[in-house]
Amino acid sequence: MSESLLVVLPLVAVLTIAAAAFDAVLAASAAGSPGPWRAWDSPLREAARQLVRQRRSTLASDRLLRRTGVLVLPVAAVLAAAVLPLGGSRAASDMSVGIVWFNAMEVAVWAGVWLAGWGVNSAYSLVGGYRMIAQGLAYELPHMFALITVGVGAESLRFSDVVTAQHDLWFAVQMPVAFLVYLLSALAMAFWGPLSSPVGADLAGGAAAELSGADRLVFSAGRYAMLAVAAAAAVPLFLGGGAGPLLPAWLWALLKTLAVLAALVWTARRLPVLRMDRFMTFAWTALIPATLLQLLVTGLIAL
Amino acid sequence: MGLRARLLRYAARRPRPLVVAVPGFTAVRLAAEADLRRRGWRPALSPAEADLLVVCGHPGPDLAGAIDTVWAQMPNPRARADLHTPSDVPSALDAASAHLADEPAQIEDAASRESWTPEESMDHSAMNHGEMDHGDMDHAAMGHGDMSQGHEGHEAMNHEPAGHEAMNHEATGHAHMNHGPQTADEGHEGHEGHEGHEGHEGHEGHAAMEGEPSGHEAMDHAAMGHGGHGGHGGGHEHHMMGAPHGLAMADRAPDRDGLKLDVLHVPFGPVLADWPAGLKVTFTLQGDLVQAAEVETLDADAGDEHFWDDTNVVAARLDALARLLAVAGWTGQAAQARVLRDEALKDGRVEPSRLAKFVRRTRRSRTLRWMLQDVRLGETNAWTRVSDWLDELGGETRPRTPVPPLGEMLVGLDVAAARLLVAALDPETERTVAEHV
Repeated sequence: MSESLLVVLPLVAVLTIAAAAFDAVLAASAAGSPGPWRAWDSPLREAARQLVRQRRSTLASDRLLRRTGVLVLPVAAVLAAAVLPLGGSRAASDMSVGIVWFNAMEVAVWAGVWLAGWGVNSAYSLVGGYRMIAQGLAYELPHMFALITVGVGAESLRFSDVVTAQHDLWFAVQMPVAFLVYLLSALAMAFWGPLSSPVGADLAGGAAAELSGADRLVFSAGRYAMLAVAAAAAVPLFLGGGAGPLLPAWLWALLKTLAVLAALVWTARRLPVLRMDRFMTFAWTALIPATLLQLLVTGLIAL
Repeated sequence: MGLRARLLRYAARRPRPLVVAVPGFTAVRLAAEADLRRRGWRPALSPAEADLLVVCGHPGPDLAGAIDTVWAQMPNPRARADLHTPSDVPSALDAASAHLADEPAQIEDAASRESWTPEESMDHSAMNHGEMDHGDMDHAAMGHGDMSQGHEGHEAMNHEPAGHEAMNHEATGHAHMNHGPQTADEGHEGHEGHEGHEGHEGHEGHAAMEGEPSGHEAMDHAAMGHGGHGGHGGGHEHHMMGAPHGLAMADRAPDRDGLKLDVLHVPFGPVLADWPAGLKVTFTLQGDLVQAAEVETLDADAGDEHFWDDTNVVAARLDALARLLAVAGWTGQAAQARVLRDEALKDGRVEPSRLAKFVRRTRRSRTLRWMLQDVRLGETNAWTRVSDWLDELGGETRPRTPVPPLGEMLVGLDVAAARLLVAALDPETERTVAEHV
């Protein structure tokens, strides 16, 4: 426990709003609306809109499952953030199995999306839920191998040890394949951009299609929060944590996080969504062997 | 001014519109899309997400019924803009935004909605357990209101068999079928004993509530197909009467992997983002796999306008590409296609360098090709279709190769591929007799 405990929640909230605002500005800019920067407050208007909105429910929907699923997203994001070291200061909970904890929280998101998609009793949402599970099956193994590679390189599963181990060389350089796979799974755990098929436009919003009011607000805030936390985790895992010249460690960590987050948000506009049957083949035939090779190389170096 | 009124006003300056395309009113849709872009109002994907319904044209009776169902699915605050000519667009959208900010009007609208009646006022003996034979998707499709007050008590509500003896199939019966799951189970036992509901006089009530029976043609957010059973000829046994919430359980059938999976009947369209105007495809789904597809086209009332002709080929191709790219999830490129399309329509030409850049970037996308090239369109595939469109943007002409009927091509695909196929086929729905469907 440390003072970071107080900082985690506001920090996740600020990053969440920043991600949503940047996305809104990019959307306005792509649509050619005059003065795209003025769209920065779209997330706030959206929040206001959902706060005064009726909750919608479908016939025979399972209210408990729906609300649980929706709530899982922001909760998992904050709990995942709790193990991240914030630049120079210690994590809110710098546990010895921090990487495993982080991974567990990210998998909880699958359950959240599946419950929300299934609980509303709508075929569109149900198919969105199916896609989340398929996506999980596709990305989770390469993702775990990437995280294990980090653990092997640092000889620890504690985030602060991982940062220390990158004193000489960032893991992004030492294990580039693991870094790229991690970035891909960062998109997948927030079902964002090319991996957003669970809430795809072709399903009228998929797992989120039936949500309105507070449900939709919590669901989409949780999704942006997960994206922000996934970006923040890339910094201690691969980008040397708060290491950097001149500026204080916390500022370096923040700047790196914002850079990764901006890249992830921007990706969404630049790539088509991957169809799950195609991505599954790619993940199992290309990503898994690649990450295993990376693990082997890192293991040999560590020996 | 209270907090709620402030929030309403703040939010109403940037609503999320759900745009409904009506066949034969392409000019209205294009004007509406351009104006929405100018205002920075991001289109919504579903009725639950939208607070503004933008109807572009005069729908015919079937399509109007579907639109009304979608309207009934939208939670308050909500506003509706019925556009009839391109010149209507700015004033109608201004009025809709003002209506969204009008707190008394929204409260009145919310209070007057039957499907949003708070559950507490309801008589549960009225719960209708019988309509599964009707196959009426609507029951499910409508967003039976779960207003936050008052439903908690209902979860505990027991459906004693006695309550059902009074089974009163009145119109009101239907707005309140939204109970917790446990209620359904408890209710279940009680219903097994019910027999002789064949008559169901009470059902007129449902029709009345939902407007046209065709209301279920809307984009049905709903109901894992429970309702769709009417479609298979009502072969349901009466023991189904006890099904939760009066919905028939989905049928099961072996799928291609030999698993027994639920069979769901799910309509796509006619109210669906980036979907051909007036098209409705009812998929028979197992999991997300299409086992059968029934295609129909819902007409406009007065629209026989042929908007696309030889003079605006570039804009026509950009419009089709924008839909396809949006379905493929490439949002940035879809937005770019729309910007160029509107420019082509307004000025009669697009700056060649920007068009060339768009064509180059689309053609070079390996990801897009990877996602499209296994979507078969008869002899060709979705990617060659895109390539042809891109060639036509450069001034070449490509003949349209004949393709099998849409309904046949869709069978065996998953939903993602099916949507890409429809977008790549881009069936002509403007004419009364559509050529591909």
